[in-house]
Amino acid sequence: MSVTDAPQVSAAPRGVRSDLVAGMVIVLVALLVGWENRAYPIGSLAEPGPGYMPLLIAGALGVFGVLIALRAGTSPLFNTIVWSESRRGIVMLIACGVAVFALERIGYRLTMIVLLVFMLGVVERKRPVPTLLVAVGFAFLSYYLFATLLKVQLPRGPWGL
Amino acid sequence: MDGVFGNLMLGFSVALQPSVLAYAFAGCVIGTLVGMLPGLGPLAGISLLLPATFGLTATNAIVMLAGIYYGAMYGGSTTSILMRIPGEAASVMTCIDGYAMTQRGRAGPALAIAAIGSFIAGTLSVVALMFLAPTLASFALRFGPPEYTALLLMGFFVLSYMSGGSMPKTLAMAAVGLLLGMIGIDAMSGYTRFSYGLIELADGIGIVPVAVGLFGLSEILLTAGQPTPPAIQRPTLRQLIPSLEELRLSIGPITRGSFVGFMIGIIPGSAHIISSFVSYGIERRMSNHPERFGNGAIEGVAGPESANNAAATGAFVPMLALGIPTGPITAVMLAAIMVHGISPGPLLITQQPELFWGFVASMYVGNVVLLILNLPLVGLFVNLLRIPYSYLYPAILCFCILGVYSVSNSVVDVWIMLGMGAFGYVLRKTGFEPAPIALGLVLSPMLELSVRQSLAMSGGSYGIFFDRPLAIAMFVVAGMLILLGLKTLVFKSKDWREKVGLEEEA
Repeated sequence: MSVTDAPQVSAAPRGVRSDLVAGMVIVLVALLVGWENRAYPIGSLAEPGPGYMPLLIAGALGVFGVLIALRAGTSPLFNTIVWSESRRGIVMLIACGVAVFALERIGYRLTMIVLLVFMLGVVERKRPVPTLLVAVGFAFLSYYLFATLLKVQLPRGPWGL
Repeated sequence: MDGVFGNLMLGFSVALQPSVLAYAFAGCVIGTLVGMLPGLGPLAGISLLLPATFGLTATNAIVMLAGIYYGAMYGGSTTSILMRIPGEAASVMTCIDGYAMTQRGRAGPALAIAAIGSFIAGTLSVVALMFLAPTLASFALRFGPPEYTALLLMGFFVLSYMSGGSMPKTLAMAAVGLLLGMIGIDAMSGYTRFSYGLIELADGIGIVPVAVGLFGLSEILLTAGQPTPPAIQRPTLRQLIPSLEELRLSIGPITRGSFVGFMIGIIPGSAHIISSFVSYGIERRMSNHPERFGNGAIEGVAGPESANNAAATGAFVPMLALGIPTGPITAVMLAAIMVHGISPGPLLITQQPELFWGFVASMYVGNVVLLILNLPLVGLFVNLLRIPYSYLYPAILCFCILGVYSVSNSVVDVWIMLGMGAFGYVLRKTGFEPAPIALGLVLSPMLELSVRQSLAMSGGSYGIFFDRPLAIAMFVVAGMLILLGLKTLVFKSKDWREKVGLEEEA
């Protein structure tokens, strides 16, 4: 290395490459699958058991993970990936999770009304009247279309809603 | 030849009956809407409407469901081109150049070429279905477990080499899909694997929650937080007219896409998804100016859109001639036929000529209906997308929950969808493609069965895969693709995907 190279190296961005992280995670997943697969018989080559293919695929996954990690040099730095949507995304996922929990307890229509009121009124900060109209309209119209016309079974809650 | 035309006339006498026409039209309209709405793909659409077909005649039921299927193929292109949101998985490749054309103010020609390409591919592949079904069916009958293993593995390697991401990344995602497909009861031994006591997981993970999560929900997670919601263009009828140069450039991709799509369509797997990937790769490979791809190349729209429509038709060949579903969509459609007491298989054509030929003829009618819907009426359909995104995405979110829940009335499926949505979001942020996961999930049971049956047949020798000419040919193709992939790993050279910049965009 020449002397003039030194400043360039120090100026280069530092950090872990995203593919290195991804490759390591994939290898860990492969190891986890292999570990969990102990519960199932591998069988023999002539009579492969239920654990044979998962082990084979987990092995392949591990190899791909290593290859991804080895080729990580060309990938962007992990800390340069922008996760700006993640906060809103987490809120949406939590709201959906609550909705799924409530779906069979308070029924389809009430759940959808609550979810849409939250998404439109709280997350998107829409005005109350359009929010309520859209939420109630969507819940009842979609229920009528799918449950009444198309005979799709959707859960009902209190008061038959 | 006379027999075919005689039968086709019989088919048209069925397909042009008012009730059949009405159901074909309804299916096409619903399919177009389903294809346009992100998160609601053809599988979810068909699954949702399956109970509604129980009261119909077998012909009306299959004609309507088929209309939804290829209508979704058409409709999926609209959101891909205008908003960079694939309405369904097969439209993922159309997003790249279709949306780039929109950004350059050429949304109209992109939509027109997508519709024209879909129409030509759909029509050509119906002709191919009509003439080639018996020959192709008899060829596929020669396949035993080793050939199926080779075919499926070759499919994965073709996908990984041709698709946008790096080969190890694509194969890793396919392996994740294969592992997901192994959750549940093992068909050969009866063991329940990786279900952790959840009864709902004993039947395995369905394709609907995974596909809706990976493609629909993750897209919403990515786009909902954008400071500026995606702008939507609504091209006028005049703006739809492509230039002569664009038409000239599209002829080759449409022809190749039709052929490739149809051939891939008859292979088991998510044919319409893989066909659009392969077609895009071929067009990019064949282009004299591959650097145009990703920046609004019309060939990048014409090829994949033609291919996925041709594949949708091609998938009906084994379904109708052999009674073998090539994927989850055709499996649902087979169920719809069987509800009416009809057994699909080689005898279907002779025992139920009105159903088979009526269905074939209805596909011609459906393609014309879809051309009308997707060209002059595209402005009307786009109105749906003019609803402010801040109102649209919560509604789509609700549709995702509704669609996934209604397939098997299971909240576990919805939890899986939410998990897959978060997983898909992380994958996209870190440069991984989610499509191979869906493909792996669908093909997993078939691959496992064929590998284990092959080993059992040979008494435990992997040599069985190299004893059969058809399997050898397919393994040679797979091996060549591996070598090409390894070349870039060993010599640190750029492969064709990196040279043309596909890795960064996909």
